[in-house]
Amino acid sequence: MTLMTNVLQVLLLILLAPLVRGVISRIKARIQNRRGASVWRPYTDVLKLFRKQDLVPASASFVFRLAPMVVFTTTLVVAAFVPLLHGSALLGVTGDFVLLVYLLALGRFFLMLGAMDGGSSFGGMGASREALVSTLAEAPFLLALMSVAIAAHTASIAGMVQWTMGQNFFQFSAVHALAFAALVLVAIAETGRIPVDNPTTHLELTMIHEAMVLEYSGPSLALIEWASAIKLTVVMALLIALFVPWGMASSVSALALGVASLVMLLKIAALVLALALVECSVAKLRMYLVPDFLGVASALAILAVVFTALMR
Amino acid sequence: MGLFETAAAKALASSGVFLFMTVLLIAAAKRISTCIALFSVQSLIITAQIIAVSRMHHSTEGFVIAGLVLSVKVIAIPYVLYRIVEELKAPRDVSSSTSSSQSVFIAAGLILLSFFAVRPYVGVLGGDQAMLAAAVALVLTGGFLMVSRKKALMQVVGLLVLDNGIFLAALTTTFGMPLVIEIGIVFDLLMGVFLMGLFVFRIRDTFDHLDVSKLRRLRG
Amino acid sequence: MMLLAFNSFLVAMLSVPVVTVISRRWTKARALPAALLMGSLVIGTAVAAVGFWRGQRFQVDICQVASFSFALSLDRLSAFFLLLICSVSLPVILFSSSYIPRHYSGARRHWLWVLLPLFLTSMVLVVTASTPFAFLFGWELMTLFSAGLIVIDGDSEQRRHNIFIYLVMMHAGAAAVIGAFLLFLPHASNFAQMRASAALMSPLLRTAVFLLAFAGFGTKAGIVPLHLWLPRAHPIAPSPVSALMSGVMLKTAVYGLVRFAFDFLGSGPSWWGYLVLFAGAVSGLLGVLYAIGEHDLKRLLAYHSVENIGIIYLGLGSALMFTANHSSVWAALALTAALLHCLNHAIFKSLLFLGAGAISDAAHTLDLEELGGLQKRMPLTGTVFLIACCSIVGLPLFNGFVSEWLTFRSFLAGSEMTNLSAAIVLPLAAGVLALIGGLAAACFAKVYGVGFLGRPRSGEAGRANEVSLPMQAGMGALATACVVIGIFPGLVLRSLGALTEELLPGAALPPAATSLTVVLPWIALFVLVLVGGFAGFKRAKKLTATWACGLPGLDERMQYTSTAFSKPLRRVFSRAYRAERTLEVVPGDPPYFPVSISYRSVRTTSFEKFLYRPGVDAIVTAALRLRRLQTGNIQIYLLYIFAALIALLMFMRWA
Repeated sequence: MTLMTNVLQVLLLILLAPLVRGVISRIKARIQNRRGASVWRPYTDVLKLFRKQDLVPASASFVFRLAPMVVFTTTLVVAAFVPLLHGSALLGVTGDFVLLVYLLALGRFFLMLGAMDGGSSFGGMGASREALVSTLAEAPFLLALMSVAIAAHTASIAGMVQWTMGQNFFQFSAVHALAFAALVLVAIAETGRIPVDNPTTHLELTMIHEAMVLEYSGPSLALIEWASAIKLTVVMALLIALFVPWGMASSVSALALGVASLVMLLKIAALVLALALVECSVAKLRMYLVPDFLGVASALAILAVVFTALMR
Repeated sequence: MGLFETAAAKALASSGVFLFMTVLLIAAAKRISTCIALFSVQSLIITAQIIAVSRMHHSTEGFVIAGLVLSVKVIAIPYVLYRIVEELKAPRDVSSSTSSSQSVFIAAGLILLSFFAVRPYVGVLGGDQAMLAAAVALVLTGGFLMVSRKKALMQVVGLLVLDNGIFLAALTTTFGMPLVIEIGIVFDLLMGVFLMGLFVFRIRDTFDHLDVSKLRRLRG
Repeated sequence: MMLLAFNSFLVAMLSVPVVTVISRRWTKARALPAALLMGSLVIGTAVAAVGFWRGQRFQVDICQVASFSFALSLDRLSAFFLLLICSVSLPVILFSSSYIPRHYSGARRHWLWVLLPLFLTSMVLVVTASTPFAFLFGWELMTLFSAGLIVIDGDSEQRRHNIFIYLVMMHAGAAAVIGAFLLFLPHASNFAQMRASAALMSPLLRTAVFLLAFAGFGTKAGIVPLHLWLPRAHPIAPSPVSALMSGVMLKTAVYGLVRFAFDFLGSGPSWWGYLVLFAGAVSGLLGVLYAIGEHDLKRLLAYHSVENIGIIYLGLGSALMFTANHSSVWAALALTAALLHCLNHAIFKSLLFLGAGAISDAAHTLDLEELGGLQKRMPLTGTVFLIACCSIVGLPLFNGFVSEWLTFRSFLAGSEMTNLSAAIVLPLAAGVLALIGGLAAACFAKVYGVGFLGRPRSGEAGRANEVSLPMQAGMGALATACVVIGIFPGLVLRSLGALTEELLPGAALPPAATSLTVVLPWIALFVLVLVGGFAGFKRAKKLTATWACGLPGLDERMQYTSTAFSKPLRRVFSRAYRAERTLEVVPGDPPYFPVSISYRSVRTTSFEKFLYRPGVDAIVTAALRLRRLQTGNIQIYLLYIFAALIALLMFMRWA
């Protein structure tokens, strides 16, 4: 039964991901006084792309078509790490936070290579900028997760979630506050949202992720788009699970899981609303100000780690 | 009701940890209005601390002070400062001599310094180690803001943060100062802000800029 | 039985030069030296494997035969490093059996086949020595033979300068190592005696031994600031020799440090651990930062060796801190991480250098700005190079990840130490390691992306062909090892755990460390099934041209170059580079249309300017002052001799 619930969690994350993207776009459109596309648009996009043909540059090697598959697969595996409805996940016990960070790095590495294989300036530009952002985002990501792991005395994600659930919600802890702030900043950088990267632009000056995927089409592009939506949802689920997990089911009964799903949907909706508001009110940072942004995240994460020792 | 009481008590008592967040964010902030808003949040957290302490010691004086701090430091002073910023019509960025991430690293270093500075005194003075460290950190950060920000208004904000730190230090060690002194300090502060507001306009009209680093006549 | 095998291994290795010299006129026996060397390496691997996995020890002693103390022995640590040397050299020699005939002919080829086995034997001598004399003998021979191998490739002015720097720094390091051994006198006739007497030494003496060993082995390993020789010596050697130097020779220095710090000295104060940790962090960061700025492939790989030695030192430093704190379980974890990274680095760094050799063989250049599109023209070389890139970056399912994961876990465990500063420093070191990993990912995305993907940036790269079969086989063997250790690390971890148990009394590998061995095969299976499913399910593709914004043609020079790719990172970390830039513009007739613009940016090595040049100048000035003693006058020289005699008499009388 636990196994089925864990598989259900992974399926939920995968299938809900495009909806999360669609809802964010719809809310942003409404804030900007537009009607906006339907919230089911990402689903129709992915299905349409799967029906189309893959256009591959003649000079590209097998890495060009391999990269989207690797990106999608690693994002899927990462989705199996995060508890969604109850305090465990498919790989939640054996999978620890280092493996999570580095699996995401594997996906990013292959995406950069696939971009370079296109043979155009856009690919190189996207890969070079992505190299800058991901290099500087990896350290605060790992340090923030490590601070929570030190506080929880365990390295597995499920263990950290269960420890946090055992804490009192009203007893705020400095370590968690700092780690949460650092992870929010890193999450914006990792998932490529404003103010680090604009997911809807196609201007040379401003695109990072979109430049990397410019050459892709058809099923490859579908995999990449879906993977990026799954990554956004997984990062949101990770933030919720690590910092506000109360409301998750403690037993694997249908009623408890139903209540937990409702609570989870509410939390994700809150995060979605917050993200849409931030994206509409803040301007995208100039690229050489992104290291500054990530430097703030690094300082927060370093302080979180130091506090775990100071506040013992 | 009992559950709500304990929850509220816990929340109020542990909200002090968010002071470190405000210290870091005020160091990272790039606009004057953000700094003013963060100062307001800081004062709100300190109000929560005052209420928590007063509940623990069952003193009505404490609630009066809390109300005073709330009305003056959380509402009145930030409002006055906002109005000044609006009237000045000057660029609203915080002209800082250090970049955003450098300032945050310096602020983090100051927080660590304050932790190590208060370590030997925790048992002697009573009070929470984290609160005392937060107070020292606020003082140091206020000083850092005054030193590194070049806009005249930021000197005011730095002074206000510094005063917050001293206030918090008094709160954690001696559970507040006598009521009369508290009222005096708070109103002094209010007067100071009004005066600074007038001065800022005079500085701008005389020198045509608000850059403190260019005011160099104080020499022998 | 083991003794016999080991002796035959040594004899076989030493016979290769002899056979080369004898058979140099026979054209039919061209492949004989390579085959003989590979055969002896197979024996060596077998001996080492039995020694490492089963823990059998033995000893070869010449003390009874000759009058000087020369003995070899194999305990588990030596067996591990012997396994490393032999198993990594085997594919490299397979590669060179085809590479050397293609690039060298006549006397140079014979010299290579004479010096290579001698070089390997000297390394074997170092790791199996059980007396200081044998160790130092092998140590010096390593330097000399590798310098000889570099000289074979040519001796222009620049190359001679680099070889000179290499020799000088290696001898300075050897002097420090000799000093460390000398401090054990008079109980220094073999390692067992040294181990026993170390427990009775005063703390000051132990500190002196540690510092000398750290400096000496650090020079050989290439930690910052003693790394100056690495990017000068490794790129100018022939590619297989670079692979051996970078992959295997640097590990002998790590072996030396582990022997001294853990085996002889046991435990020490925790500031030793801080020193090693700090050196590792600085080397890791600066190594990878300098590598990002390079576009010569071999220099880039040489700087990455500095970085990986830094990562190994991070593990060693935390192990030292744990032993100082008496938490031997976590010390075992950290030491296992460091040793496993030694093995992993040997494998993937050799593979990278062999790949560079293959590139230079096919495209005749190693400048990344001239390469491109090699994956399509050299499929196997490209694939194994990709595997090596993924391994060195430390991505999961490849071997580099396992050792980095273990290092992270040991840092996480460091947070539970009672010492406050250690509990803060160790987790922060994890942040440094994460930053190093991120920078390495950026660098190798650049290397593989610019060098192998996209379109060829020069005619030579466009005409590159796949290399010969032995070269492919050599590289393929190393790549297979990368993947196998990456997915099934338990094969090596259990024996490494036994090894650390021997070195650190009372230690055992904590069970949490082995959770990785459970989850990795499942993830690998899942990834394989899914990617295979996608690949098989994919519809036919249609070949088009790259999108060029509607313009007619896309020039291959419009792709990003290596310098352009690394520019954002170089700009953010500009304080580490301190580049000197010169821009010359030759204006034309209307001054707005210049005839030529030349831009030159040279990264100044601050170490040369602020550390080495003043040091060298001071030494030269002191030497010039001492020259005054050489007056040339015979009577003054006689006076020196008599003064020495008088001083000796007085010393004997009053001592």
